[in-house]
Amino acid sequence: MFIPVVLSVMRAILVLVLMLPAAKVSTAHSQLDYYARLGLTLATQLLTDDVIEEIETRQDPAPTLALGASLPIARTYSAGIEATLTSSGYHSSEPDEKTDLGTLRTGAVVLGLVGPVWRRINWRAGAGLIQYWPAEDQGIFLRGGSTRFLAGAGVDYRPPLMSRWDLMVSLRYDFHRFTTEELEARSFTGSQGVQRLSLTLGLARAQR
Amino acid sequence: MKPAPAVPILLVLAVGWGGLSCADIAAPSRSQVYEWRMITSSGPGTTDTLNFHWPRSRLPVRIWAEDRLDLPAHVQNGIQQWRSAFLYGEFDAVRVPDSNAADVIVTSQVALKAGFRGTRLAAGAAPECEGGTDFVLPPGSRQIQLPIRVFVSPRFDPALPGVAECLALTTTHELGHAIGIFAHSPFDTDIMYSDPTVSALSARDRATAERAYHLDPNLTASAR
Repeated sequence: MFIPVVLSVMRAILVLVLMLPAAKVSTAHSQLDYYARLGLTLATQLLTDDVIEEIETRQDPAPTLALGASLPIARTYSAGIEATLTSSGYHSSEPDEKTDLGTLRTGAVVLGLVGPVWRRINWRAGAGLIQYWPAEDQGIFLRGGSTRFLAGAGVDYRPPLMSRWDLMVSLRYDFHRFTTEELEARSFTGSQGVQRLSLTLGLARAQR
Repeated sequence: MKPAPAVPILLVLAVGWGGLSCADIAAPSRSQVYEWRMITSSGPGTTDTLNFHWPRSRLPVRIWAEDRLDLPAHVQNGIQQWRSAFLYGEFDAVRVPDSNAADVIVTSQVALKAGFRGTRLAAGAAPECEGGTDFVLPPGSRQIQLPIRVFVSPRFDPALPGVAECLALTTTHELGHAIGIFAHSPFDTDIMYSDPTVSALSARDRATAERAYHLDPNLTASAR
């Protein structure tokens, strides 16, 4: 049920984005909104296993870089694309032991809609893909990283900072289901729901 | 008609809620394992079950391989195979250039003496080659005296077909003993079968190794 819903949302967003080139380039440029932010992402566990005792695998809080752009598609709504990169360690935990498993990077691309909430606060929602890149192919990533569907939403607060730039404070929530080729090869069944929450701060092009 | 601002957010939350309501990932049972511990007689009518694995504080295990019969490559392959058996960094090993600094020494000699102060712990016996792993455990002690010695040797001319493959899989088998799988599998599809013929670890080998590394050991390894 999950994948068809995500696919239908992505399809709708894609149609919106593909319609954008129909607008005049100069108009599009003047209305183009773009931004860059830095912050931190927290994620729930990637995996719970059971070998005599319970073992939980989790990403550490991850420094985050977010880049995005959007174009108006209606009087108050925009279609946007946002790419997010995170990099942190990940570890496994047992009742009496915690093991560092190396570095894990993620890259996510979300296509979505942006609209106003109140004054300088906007909402944002969309769907896309997340890719896991382990620094080393080992353990649960022995057969490499994995790519998963992702759905996310959030709010942006954009007070003016300079004549051409706004401050941008963003809170994001996203969700995906995690597994890897190695886990599937080892007869793990299903996938683990992973929720992520990020808080980022950056600059956005002013729309005044 | 314009979408209400809440609609897309509610849609995402609904997708998230729907995704969360799905069952989480389910781990395999890992019930297909063989007895890996060494069960010894400790007196009239009594036995002792000896269980060992390398603690994380001793990783990576240092392994020295004699530069003969392509043993360094076979050892590297064996390390990789056993390392890949684990999901959570339970085991790791590296080759070292000096046997004086090694926890495990792999040579091409025919095994000369028996381990466990009188009992050869294990010996692989594929047709083209043979192997053995010797541990020294002083009487009454719970501490294995390092180094652990692995012997791998061809029965025929090493250039004959099949001998190199035999040396490779026997090395992996013997390293299995050196990491703590003291007993043989009763299944010939496992690398830890007494006369191994497969070149890679089976799911049962992996599950057994995982279980061995999550059970508290009653043997330790001496300092080196």
